Amino acid sequence: MAMSRRLLLGSAALLAAPRTLRAQSRKLDILSHRVHQAVLTQGAAGDLTEAWRRARNAEIGWTTFDIGPLQDRLLREASLPQTDYGVGYLLNSRATAQTANLLEPLEDHLRSEPIEALDDIAPGLRAAMVVGGRTIGIPVRHATNGLFCNMALLEERGITAPPTSFEEFLDQCRRVAGRRSDGPPLAGLVMTAALAAYPVIFARAFGGDFITEDYRLLPDHEAMVKAISAIRGLFESGGLPRSYANITNEDQATWLMQGRAAFAILPFARHAQLNRPDQSRFAGRIQAVEFPVSSTAPAGTRMATTVEFWSMSIPRNARDKGLAWSFIQAMSSKSVTLGAARNGNGPVRVSTYADPGFAAENAVAAIEAAALSRARIPFPAFPEANRAEAIFVEEVQSAVLGRKTPAQAVEDTASRVRSLLPA
Amino acid sequence: MRSGRLFIRLGKAVAVALILLWSLAPIALILSSSIKPEREIFAFPPSITFTPTFVHYEALWERWPDFFHALVNSLIVTVLATVLAVAASLCSGYAYSRFRGHWIDSSALFLIAVRLIPPIVCTLPLFPVANALGLQDTHAWLAALYATFFVSLGTFVMRAFIDQIPKELDEAAAVDGAGRLRTLFRVVAPLAAQGMLAVAVFVIVYAWNEFLFAFIFTSTRARTAPLVLAEIVGNFDGVEWGVLFAAASVQLAPVLLFVWVMQKHLVAGLTAGATKG
Repeated sequence: MAMSRRLLLGSAALLAAPRTLRAQSRKLDILSHRVHQAVLTQGAAGDLTEAWRRARNAEIGWTTFDIGPLQDRLLREASLPQTDYGVGYLLNSRATAQTANLLEPLEDHLRSEPIEALDDIAPGLRAAMVVGGRTIGIPVRHATNGLFCNMALLEERGITAPPTSFEEFLDQCRRVAGRRSDGPPLAGLVMTAALAAYPVIFARAFGGDFITEDYRLLPDHEAMVKAISAIRGLFESGGLPRSYANITNEDQATWLMQGRAAFAILPFARHAQLNRPDQSRFAGRIQAVEFPVSSTAPAGTRMATTVEFWSMSIPRNARDKGLAWSFIQAMSSKSVTLGAARNGNGPVRVSTYADPGFAAENAVAAIEAAALSRARIPFPAFPEANRAEAIFVEEVQSAVLGRKTPAQAVEDTASRVRSLLPA
Repeated sequence: MRSGRLFIRLGKAVAVALILLWSLAPIALILSSSIKPEREIFAFPPSITFTPTFVHYEALWERWPDFFHALVNSLIVTVLATVLAVAASLCSGYAYSRFRGHWIDSSALFLIAVRLIPPIVCTLPLFPVANALGLQDTHAWLAALYATFFVSLGTFVMRAFIDQIPKELDEAAAVDGAGRLRTLFRVVAPLAAQGMLAVAVFVIVYAWNEFLFAFIFTSTRARTAPLVLAEIVGNFDGVEWGVLFAAASVQLAPVLLFVWVMQKHLVAGLTAGATKG
């Protein structure tokens, strides 16, 4: 067959057609955890991205990973000359100066296309996303820790209400420890020894801390000594299980739902799951309260529980930053925040908790809102934060297991961690 | 004397039972947990009797549809990697078996060295390369990587098999006018089929379960099943253990079945050349 000019042009047009069609709609690639995708696309409030997709004539490509791999991939993509990913979800503990260099500063975007009622987003979370004077992420999801109690097991020991003070909490842990009425062993509190957040909560109950947001290490040694002594006391009295050092983060929910422990410290967002009849042996009997403050804490001390949160960020090398920002702007609006909360997200806006519909659907909304208003991250992000956490965890474990005194563990933590802090 | 023999037999039986328990208990745990009601999975004390349920498989189908898409990707990558690795191992095994010389002996050392390199050393520098070449998130790239890491082992397995094939057959083929390639594919390859199967088993088991390369080099299009499994484990709204065990069972089943069917060749591959004088 002879190749005519008409045939050649026709063929070229046919080959080019898909590209032309593709060019009509833009694509935003997002790196996130599956939960982030689910709360924006599935659930009681439906697909919350639909309006934005229509308005922008854009499609979304979600790439989801587990937490560690997600952060690794985001930073790796951001270190390339250019990346297709427009939005990446960033965990608060990764918001270091090094990370900030790889992400787009958002000030210009915030000025030109502001986010609706930005001040409504919890101030502590926004502040943690300002690194070196630059905003690198907009908070979108939080997990604030509360104290969960298995009321059925407490009632077996004649305890009718959750503890209102730290001392009462310790007492209840000791009282329930032993065996359940049907035989199996029962711990007072199940708590993983692998994370710093838990001893930090204990320290804050005494007005202390591990590393403050302005990088002061162990601002109140005495409070930390009391906190570690309390954990050690629980371990020695059976209030903590003998396998304390091997308990994993996920064990905590499992133990509480299976009735192997009466208390656990978990994100408030787990309340619904812990009370689901298909998952929990004590469905409907697991309550959540704020972690209580010690009566020996300085006057006026209010509990500042630990919170971890996610933010939406834009890699500095992203191809289409305008589209990425418009997504962040839309997903941070009041209405979408409320919708995502109805889909199971931990809302970062204070106003969401005030919504009557949301409060009616969420049994712990009021308690969580109060806890969130004072919550702080376990410790600030810095390059050696992982090592600092590992040292602290190791020292706490040594003290709890009786290998050194709590006071010695605190002194050793101070001397080992000091050099790791940013200058 | 007789009681001594009985004692030895009993000892052997106990040892085999212990090994079986050690090997099969995790598999039994995964399979049984996949059909237990969620609240029974980690019940304490453990529940031995329970009413089987397939809700976790249904939930896996409904909530993690991409797991099945990833399984298809795993299959594509595994088949490609196996074909590549077996073909390359056959050729190189033939070369090592039939030719001698300084360079070919030296290159054998290089092949062993490749096996000693931890994969993570190669992955990160390759990431920008794959991006620049447009190979990121493609089946072909993943298959090529898997095959590359198995060609060295495959070569030695194939060499051991081909060593057992008399060279006189090559010579007879040459007399009949066959070239090297024709001799390799028409004469040697059919006789070395068991070795090729042994190499295939190694590559299939590796490629089907591999995580690191898949994690670094895939996003959506070529994402393999182990990545989705890791995601199910890492759900921070609470791990759906039943769904996780169902997914693990689905992931486990084909490779378990394949290894069971091919176990004869796997043993042959492991012992190839062992009795060579």
